[in-house]
Parts: sequence; structure tokens; C-alpha cells
Amino acid sequence: MIKEFCDWLSSTRVSVAFQSANWFVPTVQTVHIISIAILLTSVYVVSFRLIGVTRRGQPLATLVAKSAPWVWIALCVLLGTGILLTITEPARELLNWAFRVKMLMVIALAGILLVVQIRLRRHPAYWTESRTRRLAARAIGIAAVIIGAGIVTAGRWIAYV
Amino acid sequence: MPTQIRESDWMFPTIETVHVFALVLVVGTIMTVDLRLLGVANKERPFSQVASEMLPWTWAAFALAALAGMLMFSSKALTYYSNIPFRLKMACLLLAGINMVMFHWLGTRHLEAWDHGRPPRAAKLAGGASLLLWTTIVAAGRWIGFTT
Repeated sequence: MIKEFCDWLSSTRVSVAFQSANWFVPTVQTVHIISIAILLTSVYVVSFRLIGVTRRGQPLATLVAKSAPWVWIALCVLLGTGILLTITEPARELLNWAFRVKMLMVIALAGILLVVQIRLRRHPAYWTESRTRRLAARAIGIAAVIIGAGIVTAGRWIAYV
Repeated sequence: MPTQIRESDWMFPTIETVHVFALVLVVGTIMTVDLRLLGVANKERPFSQVASEMLPWTWAAFALAALAGMLMFSSKALTYYSNIPFRLKMACLLLAGINMVMFHWLGTRHLEAWDHGRPPRAAKLAGGASLLLWTTIVAAGRWIGFTT
């Protein structure tokens, strides 16, 4: 089923146009990588604070509130450029297990970020209030760091598996 | 080692993954500093604070990216050496380095005067140049993969 969809999509006029422009894929990938730079740096700055690697600087709630627009705009650009790349080479992405693992990790990371942000918006001291919360924050931070690295890894391996 | 990287199925992609992971952190942390200079992000925080929080990570990530990059280069040195995007990337890295050194020598001389506020034009220019150079470095890097 997915195979038929890929065949259909790659034969559409828009996909053929993208495929025939040599500059298209590297240009879109460049925008994709710069958006990853913004996303991953924002996620890591917040995660390192949640873990306790970094302690100084602005309060966690301020940090998260300020990084939130960058995170979500970067994610939207990543989604957009990702869709363009998929339209250009549907089978390379949709039939690829590295791509599927990557998408699952993206959903997991977006979920984590949403939980961290929503809790802080209602209650700025949420993640530091008790020992249990601090431990949870630490676990969430470590998970975000690993998933972030995993997304980059799976993303690069799409080209090889 | 170079021959092993060239002949192995997994070594090149693995080193490339490390390179991409490190370079997105280099670009992300440098952009944070550049955008502070340009007055786009972190406007209410002292420049010195943003820079001192970000730049240690930039250097650590850069060391990792450079190491992985050299390993990738060693596997096909002649191919990369004659590749135009590769040369453009190296030239932009050199320019980014010069831009950074000049900014630290000249651009931060009267830092106390603008640390909490708007940077002077020369500092903004350095931030803009850095942003442009690093974007070109990423683009040229991506083009290497399509032309070798």
C-alpha cells in the first residue's frame, strides 16, 4: 500500500519537478539542518538545566518560555522541509525504517517539550518543588538529550539503510 | 584508518553522524551569540553572559566536528581536495575564524558600554557576517555530499 502511494507520489508533476532540479534537495536539506541546529540547541540548553549540568543564568521557567517559540517554529520548518524532501523521494523516506524510527522519536520529543512547557506555564517552580519532581526533571532532561541525538542519528542513516 | 573508513559499511556513516550532531550544536550556539549581537534574541541579557554560557559548548562541539571532519577527509582526501564546495567550505571556515578573532580583539574593546544594551555597528556587522558564513558552511558541506 505504502509502496503504491510512493510510486504514485513520485510520478506526480510536483515531485518530478523537484527531482529534476539538482539544487532542490541540497537547498532544502540545508534549511532542514539549520532548523535542527536551532531546535537541538534550544532543547539541550533546557535539558542541561533540567538535568543540573548547568545551574547559573536565568530561571528555568524564563528559559523555557523564551525558547518555546524558537522550538516550535523550528519544528514547523523541519516538518515543512521534511515534507518537501518526502515529496521529492517518497520511497527513500516512507519505506525506510530509519525514517520511521526518526518520526517516532520526533513525536516523543515534541511530547516531552509540551509537558515541560505546560507544567511551567501553570506553575513556574513545578520542576524544582520536591525531590520527586527534581528527579523527574532530571530523567526527562536525560531522555530529551538522548532522543535529540537519536533523531540526528536516524536522520543521517536514512541515506544509508 | 583512512582505508578502513573507506572500505567499511558503517564507519563513514557513523563518523558523518558524529559530524552532523556536533556541527548542529556549533551552528546553534554560534547563532545564539550572533542573534544577541543583532538584537534579535536575548536582548534583555548581557552579551557577556550569553557568550560565556554558549561559547564553551561551541568549542567542545567544534573540536568534535573537526575531528570527525578530518577522519572523513582522510578517507577520500584527493576527491575532497579537488571538490569546489569543499574548498568553499574551508575558505568560509577560515573567514569565520578571522571574523571571530577580529571581533574579540576590536569588537569587545568597549564592551562595558554596550554589554547590557545595543551593540555598536561593528559588532552587529560581525554577528551578521558570522550568521552568513555559517549558513554558507552548512550549505557547502551539504553540497560536498552531492558532488563527490
